[in-house]
This record gives sequence, C-alpha cells and structure tokens, in this order.
Amino acid sequence: MKNISKIVESKTAYILILPAVVFILLFSIIPIGESLRYAFFDFQLNDQAKSGLYINANYNIALYDETAFYIRSFLDMEEEVVTKDETKLQIDAIRNMLDEYDQYMLNNISSPDMASVVSVNNEKLAYVTKIRDNIMSSLEKLYSFDEPFVCEEDMFAVASELDTAIISSNFSGLNNFKSVLTDTRVHSTVGFTLIFTFISVFFELCFGMALALIMNKALKGRGIIRTVSLIPWAIPTAVAALIWSYLYNGSSGIISHLFAWLKIIPEPTELLLSSTGSLWAIILADVWKTTPYMALLLLAGLQTIPHSLYESSSLDGATKLQQFGSVTLPLLKPSIFVALLFRTLDAFRVFDLIYVLTGGGPGGTTESVSIYAYKVMFAQTRFGYGSAVVLVMALTVGLITFAYIKLLNVKLIND
Amino acid sequence: MKKVLSILLTVIMILALVTGCGSQPTTQSQQPSEQPSPSKDAESPSAPAEKTKLTFAVQADSTDALNQLIAAFNDSSELYTVETVVMTNDSGNMHDQLLNSLSSKSGEYDVISMDVVWAGEFAAAGYLQPIDELLAAKGWKVTDFNAGSMASGKYKGKNYVLPYFPDLGFLFYRSDIVSSEDAQKLESGNYTWADLLAMAEKYKGQGGTKYGHVYQSGQYEGLVCNLNEFTANWTDVKGGLEVMNQFTKSDVTPKDILVYTEGETHNAFLNGESVFARNWPYMNGMAASGEYTVKGNQVGFAPLPGGGTVGGWILGINANAKNKAGAEEFLAFIAGPEGQKINATVGSYLPGFNALLTDADVLAKNALLTNQGFSNALAKTIARPVVANYSEISDQIQIKAHEYLSGNGQLDSAADTISGLLK
Repeated sequence: MKNISKIVESKTAYILILPAVVFILLFSIIPIGESLRYAFFDFQLNDQAKSGLYINANYNIALYDETAFYIRSFLDMEEEVVTKDETKLQIDAIRNMLDEYDQYMLNNISSPDMASVVSVNNEKLAYVTKIRDNIMSSLEKLYSFDEPFVCEEDMFAVASELDTAIISSNFSGLNNFKSVLTDTRVHSTVGFTLIFTFISVFFELCFGMALALIMNKALKGRGIIRTVSLIPWAIPTAVAALIWSYLYNGSSGIISHLFAWLKIIPEPTELLLSSTGSLWAIILADVWKTTPYMALLLLAGLQTIPHSLYESSSLDGATKLQQFGSVTLPLLKPSIFVALLFRTLDAFRVFDLIYVLTGGGPGGTTESVSIYAYKVMFAQTRFGYGSAVVLVMALTVGLITFAYIKLLNVKLIND
Repeated sequence: MKKVLSILLTVIMILALVTGCGSQPTTQSQQPSEQPSPSKDAESPSAPAEKTKLTFAVQADSTDALNQLIAAFNDSSELYTVETVVMTNDSGNMHDQLLNSLSSKSGEYDVISMDVVWAGEFAAAGYLQPIDELLAAKGWKVTDFNAGSMASGKYKGKNYVLPYFPDLGFLFYRSDIVSSEDAQKLESGNYTWADLLAMAEKYKGQGGTKYGHVYQSGQYEGLVCNLNEFTANWTDVKGGLEVMNQFTKSDVTPKDILVYTEGETHNAFLNGESVFARNWPYMNGMAASGEYTVKGNQVGFAPLPGGGTVGGWILGINANAKNKAGAEEFLAFIAGPEGQKINATVGSYLPGFNALLTDADVLAKNALLTNQGFSNALAKTIARPVVANYSEISDQIQIKAHEYLSGNGQLDSAADTISGLLK
C-alpha cells in the first residue's frame, strides 16, 4: 500500500504533464511528421498514379475496367465503317484479347472488397505491363490498315490510360528537396521574403522604439495615446490590406497620387505595377500595421527597468542620451531580442497582406514563400513538393533564429 | 462561491444531457408527417416510402433559375429528390473546397458544377465519372451540346462533363459613337487587333469617353482568357503579347489597365468612360437594366479578332457518388432540353443544349441570341488548354505575361516560356 502511494507520488509530475504531452503530440508532432512523410514522395492529386503514398507497386483495376469498356465501344464504332476482312479479323482479335485479360484480372488481381487500387507483386506487375504493351501494339496494327477509321485519336488517348493504371512506387527520397533547392521560383521568393523581412522589421524596430518611449513617459492622456496607437494592429490584416490597396490604386488612390505629386514615384500606377514600387508599398503597409505590436513588446520591457537606475545615473551627471545608451538599451536587450525574433519569424511567414494587396504581382516579383507554398499545395495540389517547400522554409526560420541568438548573444532560457 | 459555481455547472450539464436525448424522439415524431399521404400510397404501392436524396454542389444563382430547376426535377422524378449545397462564390476557394472533398473519396456531392478549367484536373485525378454511357443511353451526341464546353471536359478520349451554362468573351462597343460602317466591319469579325487599336484611337474622347478600349489584364485568370484571344488560341504567342503590349502602352487604355478585372471593365464601360470593352455576356444584362449611364440601346456586340474564350460552368458526376444512377438522371435533366430551357428562360443564361438556340421562348428571353454580332462571336469560340496541371500552367502564364506587360520582363523570355508550357 505504501509502495503504491510512493509510486503515485513519484510519478505525479508525469501524470500532470500527460495532457500537455498528448496535446503537443496530436497538434504539433503528428502533423509535422506527416508533412515530412509527404515530402519524401512524388505526391500530387492531379495524377491518378501519384495521388497516394505508394511504396510498393499497385494496379488501378477500376481504371482498367473503364478503359476496356471504352476500347470495346470504340471497336464497335470502327467495325461499322471498316471494309476489309483482315481489319475485321484484327478487331475480333483485340476483343478476344480483352476477354482473356478481363478473366485474368478477375482471377488474379481483383480483391474481395472490390477496391479500385490493388497492390501487385513483381510477377503480376510484369503481366499487367505485358497487357498494356500487347493492346497498344495490336491497336497500332489495326490502325495501320488503310480504312476510313473514325476514332483513332480517341482510341489511343483512351488506351494510354492502361499506362496510368500501372502505379509504380512514387517514393522519391530526397528528390523533392533537391528540386526545391534548384527551383528558381523558390530562390526568388526566398530572396523577396528576406528583403521584405529585414527592411520592414528594421523600420518597425526604430518606430516601435520611439513609440514605446513616448508611451512610457507619464504624459497627459497617456491612456488615449496607448489605445489609439494600437488601432492599426487591431484591424484584421485582410481588411487593412484591402484599404491599402484602395489607397495605392493607380487611378483613384490618394497615396499613389500624393507620392506622384511629391515626385517620389514617376506615375501614380507605379506603386502597384512596378516591382520596387510594390515592394515598398507592402513594406509601408506592414510597418504601419505592426509597429504598435513592436512598441507593445518594448513597452513591457521598459516598464521592468527600475526607476532608481535613472535617478542614480542623473546624480552622476549623465545626459538623457547617455542614459538611453548605458541604462535603457542594455536592460532592454532581452525585450528587444524577443520582439525582433517574434517579428522576424512573423514577417518571414507573411501571407495575407501580400495576398490581398498584390496577389504576388506584378509578374510574381512580390511573391512570398508562404504564397508560393500555398499555390503549390492547394491550387496545384502538389502535396509532396509543397511539403518540401514548407520544410525548407521552416529550416530557414530556424537558421534566422540561430543567427539572432549568436549575434545578440542572448540566452533564450535562463538556467 | 466555488460551490455555487459547481452546482451551476452540474445543472447545465444535466440540462444539456436531457435536451440532447430529448431531441431524438422529436425528430422521429416529425418523420411520419413527411411520408407520402395514404392516397398516394394507394396509387403506387410499390414505390419506396422515401425518395433517395441527391446532392448538387453549385454556386449561388442570383436569378431564380436554379430554384425552379430543382423544383421541376423534384416534381417530375419518382425516385429522387435533389438538395443543393451552395458553395462559396469565390471560384478559387470553391475549387479548393471541392478538391478537399473529392480527394478524400467522399461521396457527399453527387453532381458537381465546375468552372470550365477544372475538368482536366479533376478527370486526370479520377474524380469524375465519364458520361459517354449516359449520352448513348439518352441517344444524344456530343455535337448536341455547346462545343466549347464539351471540349473543356474531354480528357484522354473520354467525355466527363455536360454544359451547365456556357459563357464567352466578346467585344462590346458603343453603337451611338462608332460609325455604322465600322460597326459592320466589327460585327463581321473581319478585322485585326491593329484595326481595333486604330478605331479606339479614332473614337476615344467622343461622347464623353476617356478611354478607347478596356479589358482584363490584372495578374489573375482573366489575363489568361484575354491572352488566349490576343494570341488567337496560342497560335501566335509572341505576336499576341506584342499587340497586347501596344494596347497597354498606348493612351487608349487606362494607365492602370494592368490591374483591370471584370469589375473595373464594366465600371469603365457602363459609366460611359470607354468606347470598347472586352467582357462576358453578364455586362449586357447590366446595361439592359438601365441603372447605369450607358443603356442597353447604346451597346453593340462583335466577335474578337482571335476568337472568344469559353468560360462558364459545366457539370459532372462524382466518381464516388453514393447514387450514380440518380446522379445521371439529374445530370441529364439539367443539361438536357428541359433543364436548359428553364435556365435560359428564367435565368437568361446561354443554353448549352444547341437545339434551344433557335427555340422561340429562349430567343424571347435572350435578346443577345438574335443579335448578328453576338451570333458571329458565338460561332468563333476558343478553349483554354485542357490539362491535368491547369492551375500550375495558368499561374506561370499569368506571371510571365504580366512581368512582360508591366515592363519587368523581356518579350522573348515571356513568349518562349509560355509556348513551352503549352507544349
């Protein structure tokens, strides 16, 4: 009895963290593992031979049945128009062939549960490959006769499905990762995303710091200033992006006309229709939107600095600027680090702002990695390749974090 | 305080349990009332008590045609009753939503409506049931239906779709500005893009207009449709891109033509800002409504020099449909003469069943069909490529073309890439 209670006591900690472990497993580890698994296959939905994760060879028997049905009905149509006996003999020969193969499918390949895709061993794989070759060659022989055939093109198009029915393994090892690394579109999107991330985070840090210092001062109406400055951050990104797209609009946008009048840009249409114009347009919208968030993170850090430090430094005769350099900045370093890290990771994954504002245009010059990954996975349904793109993106984010830790020399977790 | 809270929670949970269990008997008690009345039972004792339910995935219809279509089918069918599942009006999202359902081999939708460019992808993925057997059973031929729509649904020798309503791009012009001589030339279709550019320059500014010609040139699917027309169905990619660039750079088009979609196009044309516009038939309905500066009687129609891109919606059967026989019956109903007539007369859609193009009731509701310029346009339709990876190809065409037109890329590189993609 004592022993049991001892065990329970010693394991209490484990029991208590169990729900959290289950939660992390369900919502983080398993999806990431699954995505990793996809990345090792040439997995794409718009091709029946690749729309699954196949390690072994398979045969799509439903597609064979459908193809055989079509070949027979095309043969019927041809039989009505052909004139020579030898052609008719060839048509009958193909029919007999199909009958024989149907029987083979029924006896050897069909599964009792009528599944449409059945796994096949090497011997059966060789046989279905032979079926494909035999049918193709006898069709070629048929159409070599000089007859007024009516559906030659359709016949070969349909017969090509015999090839689609043979599903060989689509395990591709590291090929997806190799092609991600050589994909020029990945290069250009990563390049754009990095430029966007560093420029916009730099400005956000500068403006955010200024805003935080203002909010930290005991001014009159501090509450109002804090509330008002947070408004841009509180507006949903998609809505804000839509408003900015009206402001940047080449024919009626206020900002584009203002900039053109100030000679910052040559034409009002430049903002959304040239690659540099739209890069800066996106950065401006992002800086406007997320500076308050940066300021909020820095403000939290500012408030942890004890007031006594400022008092003692001013007694020692330090100017305001010296105070900022020797007291505020060093003590704010952990907060700056956290804020920079959060914003960089966030900016690197930018999606909604660009998707609504430019859709990746003009000519794909403002396409971020997330937008490209979304297009590959959901619009083009290339899940295997898309997973590889996303994993490479995750790796890049990890590298950026590592670089920050090294550069700023901050300990992420205090021992 | 804690005690009160826990008692409150317990009470809520008990209540939830009671009502949760209680809801079942109520639904059961409702069911008998839905069953056919005794007199009907006496008439057809062998008929099943409940009709089999079919689902139809479709976008909301701003007209009453869809409702009437479903009601007509439900009244006439002995065995089936159809329920519509209204999908989002954003085509891109609807595509992703359908794909999600179809790729999981779900049979939740029996009949699905699709944008013309999705059929190749869905057919290649094995999500659609070929309809050749259905055509044979009904005694219909492929040529009985709109050619462009059928071409969009033919993949590897098999037909997978029937038209729901076809759509096509064509030229709108201001008949109160363009001279009758030029109008005749346009309507006949015997003109080139250079002729159109010259006319746009000639008439620009007359009748209070600001622009000569507007069309869709933003980086989205509309650009592919327009490029299809400029390149005469991709037969002259380089020449087409060059002409499109001439239009972009000239002062007959708005400065921001490269962001134009259908919305900007109809705003510019219907507010009297442009002499010419390339758009879909819906813009004629807007002009005819009389709510805009430009009224129906100020608008003329003509084919485009390179032919008009086919758009619109097509219908197919889910390969994993729970009830294929029912799905076929419903598909034959809406795509056949009965359903298409309702669609054409109630909703003023173009009929996809060709025999209806000369039907008196349909002509009375579709003034466009009696117009010579429009009929010429209808005879000159061209389809976008029918391939399994259409969205990938379309995406790259958009990027390359937009890059060149916006001055960020070279003509040769754009033309070579696009020609390579289409091979």
